[in-house]
Amino acid sequence: MAVQDIIDPKSKKTFMIGNQAIARGVLESDVKVTAFFPGSPTNEILDTLYILSGEFEDLKMEVSANEKVALETAAGAAMAGVRGFTSMKSVGLNVASDTFFTLGYTGVNAGLVLLIADDPHAHSSQSEQDGRYYAEAAHVPMLEPSSAQEAYEAVKYAFELSEKYEVLSLIRTTTRVNHQSSNVEIDELDRTTSEKKSWKDVHKKFYTLGAKARKLKENSLNKLENIQEDFEESSLNRVIEGEGTTGIITSGVSFLHVQEALQVLDLDMPVLKLGTTYPLPENTIMDFVDGLEQVIVVEELMPYLEDRITQLAKGSELEIRGKRSGDFGMVGEYDVPRIVNGISSILEIDSPKDYDKFVKKAEELKEILPKRTPIFCAGCPHRATLWALQQAIKDKDYVFNNDIGCYSMFLLEPYEITDSLLCMGSSLGLSSGMQHVLDEKVIAMIGDSTLFHAGLPGLVNAVHNQHDLTLIVLDNSVTAMTGQQPNPGSDFGPDEVTEIDIESVVKSLNVEKVKKINSFQPQDNVDDIVEMIEYQGVSVIISEGPCALYHDRLKRKQGEPIIPNRVDDDTCRSIYKCVRNFYCPAIELNMDSSHTEIKKDLCDGCMVCAKLCPINAIESTGGEKDE
Amino acid sequence: MNEDKFNIMLSGVGGQGLMLLSETIGRACSEMDKKVITGEQHGLSQRSGSIYVHLRIGEDAHSPLIPYGEADLMVSLEGMEALRNIEYLKPDGHIISSNRLVHHPIETNKVVEEEVEEYITIEDIVEKLEEVTENIYMLDSLSLAKEAGNPRTENVVLLGAVTSIPNFPLERDVLKEVVKETVPEKTIDVNLKAFELGYEEGSKNR
Ligand SMILES: Cc1ncc(C[n+]2csc(CCOP(=O)(O)OP(=O)(O)O)c2C)c(N)n1
Repeated sequence: MAVQDIIDPKSKKTFMIGNQAIARGVLESDVKVTAFFPGSPTNEILDTLYILSGEFEDLKMEVSANEKVALETAAGAAMAGVRGFTSMKSVGLNVASDTFFTLGYTGVNAGLVLLIADDPHAHSSQSEQDGRYYAEAAHVPMLEPSSAQEAYEAVKYAFELSEKYEVLSLIRTTTRVNHQSSNVEIDELDRTTSEKKSWKDVHKKFYTLGAKARKLKENSLNKLENIQEDFEESSLNRVIEGEGTTGIITSGVSFLHVQEALQVLDLDMPVLKLGTTYPLPENTIMDFVDGLEQVIVVEELMPYLEDRITQLAKGSELEIRGKRSGDFGMVGEYDVPRIVNGISSILEIDSPKDYDKFVKKAEELKEILPKRTPIFCAGCPHRATLWALQQAIKDKDYVFNNDIGCYSMFLLEPYEITDSLLCMGSSLGLSSGMQHVLDEKVIAMIGDSTLFHAGLPGLVNAVHNQHDLTLIVLDNSVTAMTGQQPNPGSDFGPDEVTEIDIESVVKSLNVEKVKKINSFQPQDNVDDIVEMIEYQGVSVIISEGPCALYHDRLKRKQGEPIIPNRVDDDTCRSIYKCVRNFYCPAIELNMDSSHTEIKKDLCDGCMVCAKLCPINAIESTGGEKDE
Repeated sequence: MNEDKFNIMLSGVGGQGLMLLSETIGRACSEMDKKVITGEQHGLSQRSGSIYVHLRIGEDAHSPLIPYGEADLMVSLEGMEALRNIEYLKPDGHIISSNRLVHHPIETNKVVEEEVEEYITIEDIVEKLEEVTENIYMLDSLSLAKEAGNPRTENVVLLGAVTSIPNFPLERDVLKEVVKETVPEKTIDVNLKAFELGYEEGSKNR
């Protein structure tokens, strides 16, 4: 298993996913304190280190309340004299950015590395944010690996850099690096033991204000000049020799696509692959373009490199092609076909492959395919709460502000109920603004993790300012969507934890109307929800029921059976209450009998469908799932 | 030009154990000192969604993503998902798929509301797949898995079947060894049986 490889003290060749390679890099770098808030595509870094922290006594791993706290935890450790690491998804850095920018001024003591993962194509994110601009804005160096191997090496180098210049090092990846498994050659693992340090040994202060801020900024900018000199010599930037007067400059996973695109095109042009993208190795770039007439910049998302290279080459004859010239788009992720087509059109040659033909034909063939949109799992408490909510608001005028979590799927087919959803915690602030203006009742919905992450200030604000809104908290015990990690309301964690009770927190904020409901009693919940919605002022419903995936795993671990339901064929009269508005993946139709049927391998026995059936045709099998 | 590249498109429905397939094939490559790279879909952790892995073997495979029309082999744990990724398959490439269909609740709802007459069938799917290739092997992976002793070994049945493809670049024994190392110890025997049954079934079609 991969975890065995990650903790193996020996140097060896392995097969690993990028995120595990990164975790190995963290281990080899002798990092002592790591803290994270989950977010795709970085989850496997967190999940791996969660497991590893149990294997290494000197490795602290924490799941933080949000990314800002995670960065501060890692930074605090680095200030105090041990190496700290955190990673987060692209938009996570928006949350942590206040801390991040000031760390760009104060610097650190021991090494501090922050990895951010952008998500071109928005596979599992609310935006295609390009995080590269953060490095320049905060005056910190940035590395951009292309592969799992490079990501592993980048972590180790980032720590050296961080300590050499006492700066935070930023590593920027994209989904296709984090979620790329490949051959990875790892070095020996040799960790030191850790003892308590003394603040007396830290001959540095970490604050900034007024004149001190100006001095620190100057200092950071000066450091970057030296770092740039290092980068000019770095093997992370390399030239793949070629012929002709056109060259390519690229970075990140685009480099891998480019290599293959050139094979397809049977072209042998020089390529500069950049691995340090802030500060840019300007001399390396100028040496590369020397003698070229045309350079093609291949990068996903925004024209970050292209604009900077254009600026560098100002005054020369060099023709720069990329996004600004309209040859490559700024939306979506790249692949070999996109690059083959882009280069062909720039060079005015026929593309050797007609990729569109395959896509078009596939589209035709796929017309018969039913969609498979993401849907709540069998046994999911959200499905039951949302069933009740739909009944409660059916004849009402309302505006519905959703938030970030599995329940975001309420905006997708088949529900399509959501008027806004921006980012974690936004449901509350937006509701506050809307209730000042709208005639309709304002409803906000948020998960337990998101409430702790960024929802609480919005709730405090709504109570203090005496707003009129209803908040539905979906408390499923974990941060489900990212892989069921613990949050402050959970009773487990990598170490011992204190479980924070949402009802007590909400009551302590002087919310006048608070009601806790059991997610799995949908019919009883309808009236409760109606009552809370009709209340004038801040009302909070806490719907409690554990995430099915988490709960099933827990049961398996404890040797408890998961007992599925069955439909009694003699009783079923094809009324379909268990299908309409419920949409459970464990329920299918038997086309011969037209009755519903429950798939034993998927059913988790939550019993909600049985409660919805008006003629009691669904019951528990009472026995174990056949293994 | 003889390129060193073998592309496998793996697909299925969340919860079916697709990652075990890419993990074992990838490890077997590593054992055999072959270059391998994948582009995997992780992210939303719900079950029941479409999932895929692009898996590429060989010195000339650089990108983590298979270009359209270049998959030598498609392995699908579910019938509809083979068709969902059909743009990646080479004309006349191989398809090894479970004949099992997992119907989505939206599809079920459409049948109930009589928006469609009935569920899509495996025959409907095969008819479309045949427009791209004749090399289609639909396996009753569930029955074979049950025969092996555990219905949850469908993925390993498929893996065994994959090794019956004529130009498959990995040695069967290496793959088998990796399966042994990867699955939980208690389940080694059932998994090896599933692997063998898959291989036999796949070979029958040759
Ligand atoms: C700033 C930020 N960090 C992380 C994420 C990733 N993310 C997406 S969904 C989610 C889970 C939220 O958990 P919770 O509110 O408890 O809902 P659940 O998924 O458990 O239903 C997270 C952390 C994000 N979108 N934005």
